[in-house]
Amino acid sequence: MADTYTQLVNSGLGRNLAKKLNLPQPAVLRRYKPGQPLVIGPVVVLGDTPGADKLAAELLSWDLDVRRHAVPAEKLGAIILVLDGLQHPSDLEKPVLAAAGSLRDLRSGGRIITLSHPSAEASSPETAAARQGVDGFLRSLAKELRSGATGNGVLLADGTTTTSPSALGAVRFLLSGRSAFVDGQFLTVSTEDGALPAEPERPLAGKVAVVTGAARGIGAQIARTLHRDGATLILVDIPAAGDQLATVANEVRGTALQLDITGADAGQRIIDHAAQRHGRLDIVVHNAGITRDKLLANMDHTRWNAVININIAAQLRINEALLASEHFRTSPRIVSVASTSGIAGNRGQTNYAASKGGVMGMVRATAPLLASRGGTINAVAPGFIETEMTARIPFAVREVARRLNSLQQGGRPSDVAETIAFLASDAAGGINGEVLRVCGQNLVGA
Amino acid sequence: MPIDGQSTPTPGGSVPATVPETRRAVIVGANRIPFARAGGAYAKSSNQDMLTAALDGLIARFGLQEERIGQVAAGAVLKHSRDFNLTREAVLGSALSAETPVYDLQQACATGLETVVGLANKIKLGQIDSGIAGGVDSASDAPVVVSEGLREVILDLHRAKSLPQRLQILGRLRPKDLAPLAPGTAEPRTGLSMGEHQALTTAQWKISREAQDELALNSHHNLAAAYESGFFDDLMTPYRGLTRDANLRADTSLEKLAALKPVFGRNLGADATMTAGNSTPLTDGASTVLLASDDWADARDLPKLASVIDAEAAAVDFVHGKDGLLMAPVFAVPRLLARQNLTLADFDYFEIHEAFAATVLSSLAAWEDDEFGRTRLGLDGAFGIIDRSRLNVNGSSLAAGHPFAATGGRIVGTLAKMLHAKAASTGRPARGLVSVCAAGGQGVVAILESL
Amino acid sequence: MTFQEPVVLAEMPSLSKLYVNAAAQAARRRLLGTHDSAVLPEVSHEARGVTVGVENLTAYQHLIGETASDVLPAGFIHAVVFPLAMSVMNRDDFPLPLLGMIHLRNSVEHRSPLVFTAVLDMAARVENLRGHRAGTQVDVVAEVRLAGASDVRWRGVSTYLAKGVFLPGIDKPTAVAGKADFTAPDPTALWQLGVDTGRAYAAVSGDFNPIHLSVLSAKALGMRRSIAHGMYLASRALADVGPARGDSFAWDVEFEAPVFLPSRVALEIGTEQSCSGAWKHSRYVAWNPRSGRRHFSGTVSALQPLAGWPA
Repeated sequence: MADTYTQLVNSGLGRNLAKKLNLPQPAVLRRYKPGQPLVIGPVVVLGDTPGADKLAAELLSWDLDVRRHAVPAEKLGAIILVLDGLQHPSDLEKPVLAAAGSLRDLRSGGRIITLSHPSAEASSPETAAARQGVDGFLRSLAKELRSGATGNGVLLADGTTTTSPSALGAVRFLLSGRSAFVDGQFLTVSTEDGALPAEPERPLAGKVAVVTGAARGIGAQIARTLHRDGATLILVDIPAAGDQLATVANEVRGTALQLDITGADAGQRIIDHAAQRHGRLDIVVHNAGITRDKLLANMDHTRWNAVININIAAQLRINEALLASEHFRTSPRIVSVASTSGIAGNRGQTNYAASKGGVMGMVRATAPLLASRGGTINAVAPGFIETEMTARIPFAVREVARRLNSLQQGGRPSDVAETIAFLASDAAGGINGEVLRVCGQNLVGA
Repeated sequence: MPIDGQSTPTPGGSVPATVPETRRAVIVGANRIPFARAGGAYAKSSNQDMLTAALDGLIARFGLQEERIGQVAAGAVLKHSRDFNLTREAVLGSALSAETPVYDLQQACATGLETVVGLANKIKLGQIDSGIAGGVDSASDAPVVVSEGLREVILDLHRAKSLPQRLQILGRLRPKDLAPLAPGTAEPRTGLSMGEHQALTTAQWKISREAQDELALNSHHNLAAAYESGFFDDLMTPYRGLTRDANLRADTSLEKLAALKPVFGRNLGADATMTAGNSTPLTDGASTVLLASDDWADARDLPKLASVIDAEAAAVDFVHGKDGLLMAPVFAVPRLLARQNLTLADFDYFEIHEAFAATVLSSLAAWEDDEFGRTRLGLDGAFGIIDRSRLNVNGSSLAAGHPFAATGGRIVGTLAKMLHAKAASTGRPARGLVSVCAAGGQGVVAILESL
Repeated sequence: MTFQEPVVLAEMPSLSKLYVNAAAQAARRRLLGTHDSAVLPEVSHEARGVTVGVENLTAYQHLIGETASDVLPAGFIHAVVFPLAMSVMNRDDFPLPLLGMIHLRNSVEHRSPLVFTAVLDMAARVENLRGHRAGTQVDVVAEVRLAGASDVRWRGVSTYLAKGVFLPGIDKPTAVAGKADFTAPDPTALWQLGVDTGRAYAAVSGDFNPIHLSVLSAKALGMRRSIAHGMYLASRALADVGPARGDSFAWDVEFEAPVFLPSRVALEIGTEQSCSGAWKHSRYVAWNPRSGRRHFSGTVSALQPLAGWPA
């Protein structure tokens, strides 16, 4: 369900009223449902590099309606700007203005995707300037889009191309309704690893996944999404939440493992459970987390430590056990839930932001350790997500927080879950050490 | 030698020469909801609600969604007439396959243990490959029935054919017939409550108030320690906001227990020693145990904690005062151990249901009594001594509470986990004894061994 | 004792009429003075072809805690034959006043079982008029046979005391047997007897003696509260002895302190077995758990069935 305001401004009377009063007009986002087309309407691939040609050919093989040039007045599902040959900022003009001519034809829920190279790897100042220009360009464009359309970029690191498995995986993810609340973000493809799924609707078939904090909220939704995508689930939460955990487990046909993740043996117990019941462990989603908000001046030992222990120390300890385990060796995936608070900061959340900043630091530093066994670790940083937790924020604050992003609405737990499912899939095998925000391109941390 | 009791066969004596080969019945695991005090967290929950909650937790723990279990057996002691198919209704409301058959069983407080024994036997015989044993009871949502007078009038009205007949029948109704009747805890044949019966036994075996209070204290401390160590993390699923047994008093002390006034036996002439502290309170709750053949468990990569070796039931003639109401296990255990060629020294753990602290202590006293062993058990002397450090080491009913039919499942789940852990840490098999006394002078006892 | 033709009653007498008649007789005697005969009528009253109502039987069995089997409980037969016994004591030539008599003892030989479909012949007579320290006692002997048969299946002897009545020529017993001190043992049962216990038993036994029915009716007869029927108490004790007693048994009860209603009655029911483990007899004793006063006590013991009787 969209929030009440979003519903209102999408009904006849409310729409007119909102227009006249110049109120925000959040759209109902295009979200993924199994069986639905990847994208509705033609996809224009702009750019004249070999990478652009190869990508267009690949997209054709997905049975998409691919155009290399926009047909005037034709409604478009997506515009893909392949910018992998930029050498000077002036190279941006042609593809960017070509896109500009088609923007008004973009359908609601449409997609803009850029593919370019990271500026840090540029060999010359000109190239670096051009590549970094894409960053500013795309983030600004995303803010101009309306009607639930989003703009995101794929960064192709050295050695990867527009048709590297994870580049295609990222394009696929960004085109789809799975990325509905991902906006104004860049995702770096660093290796040729990964593979597109044999069954696009069951990308996690045959995988065994652990989700912590799975009893409710985002964790429960992650479990449902991974289950929908074909994973076999082990759901972890504290014993006190066992009844809700059991309900989720029975819904997604998984097993409930009641344990306190801050326990010294938590990692080993998770591994033992997975090994005994399934003989393998492929995916670990570190979702469990708490908030204990207080201004730092009022912060006490209990609040600070509880947040640090559960939100980051436990993940570090469990990862240590996972990395030492023989059962976590075949293309393992770890996805951690961070927060935009950890990026932009948030008043009253020094402890929480420290822990979530810690998650991002951990992810970057752990990435090489997993890469050595063909695995990845990434983080997802949710912005304002409509959950039981955010429902407790006072109304006015909540209403402001909810509108302060390009999509003018809060995200849903499923938006976070879809991104996690993508990062946990084989299609994201070449994406490692990344932090992807799921925030509707919001301006502050939440 | 003729004895005025229930003779114990010589070890191995009663086993037929050729015991047919049967397969093992293994305990995969268990789940219960925390036990609530009557009128507490589960005051409005029905037996069906609680049994379904316990089942769903078990299903979630072991991933049994949509599984067609060989048979589910459970029961309740206090049962509404509408719950004639209690277990089946619970299964239909759970995540199990709707094609799972069930049976309801009722054996007073031994109901839970008897469901374990019955399903284990079916598995051993090859009749089923998997089973879920369970029990549930609500002292809060207990059936209240109409008076015998009103009941007869209602039934006769239903049978009446004409208006004059109906009016005549209605005319029989008296004001007192309209008062409802709550279920009594008194034994039907003696009119004595279970507590009063135990009070007589307590006096007979001269069990002191101090010994009872000490046993109660240990029960609370042991259970509290088990919770602290996370022992119940994979044996329990919270329900209705309860995450621990509501009766548990981790901070109780001998002084606090000693301050309580006796509640049973005050009118019976004997010295009253039984208090609310060393007796179990009325409790609501449910428990389940997953049983399987080795093949079934292995095919699903399920854990195997222990196996159900053997069981024995006994009953005593309490109506005519020959034995105490709750003393049947005193006869069942020696018979069972003789059949298995075991002595009390062969056990790592003893789980003796604490209906009352004095029930446990009376049983121990009888087993330690030379004359009782000779004249009532037909042995050469006393049956034996139980190492108290092996008794109810993770607490029992005095601390956890006792929702009658749910106690067997609680004990079996607890013991199976303890045995498995013991064997894992010592590297040798561990063995445990379960003993549950029941109303009507009954008792069921069983032996589990670690896997 | 000279032989007299029995009086065969056309039908079982009505107890309520007997009680009314007894009251009238008491009034008449008060008016005319007690007659000073010390001789019992030697006639036997008989009723033939008596049958029992199965609904009444079932209600009786449930009330006293017997399973509703097809066999008539020993106490039920006592209730069936009771009006006949009363009719003998209600005769004008019976020397004691019927109203106010106290049931002291009851002794039944239940020789072989009778089922509810049996057609019964019954006979009752009085005998053994003798002294008591508190008055005069008499035995009422009742016998039940299958219709037309000669062997007695059930035989009951009820001993009643006419308190304060001393007849000429009948001496008080010289030595009053001192009652042994009673120490209550551990109970094996505890009965909760409601205020309606007397009415409930009256409904199934037909014995509507006012002293059992209500506080008011009991007070009219000089009791402070209503009391439980002695035979109700004894029949419940017999039921509690259980099926070990078999088909053929002797059942005795001695009544002491009456059980005022409502009340709690504590009992000890114990069984003695022979060396072979067979049941020999059961003893029962009932007392007031508060005061420790003994209400009644008795035994149930095996009775060897005579050869030739149907099994």
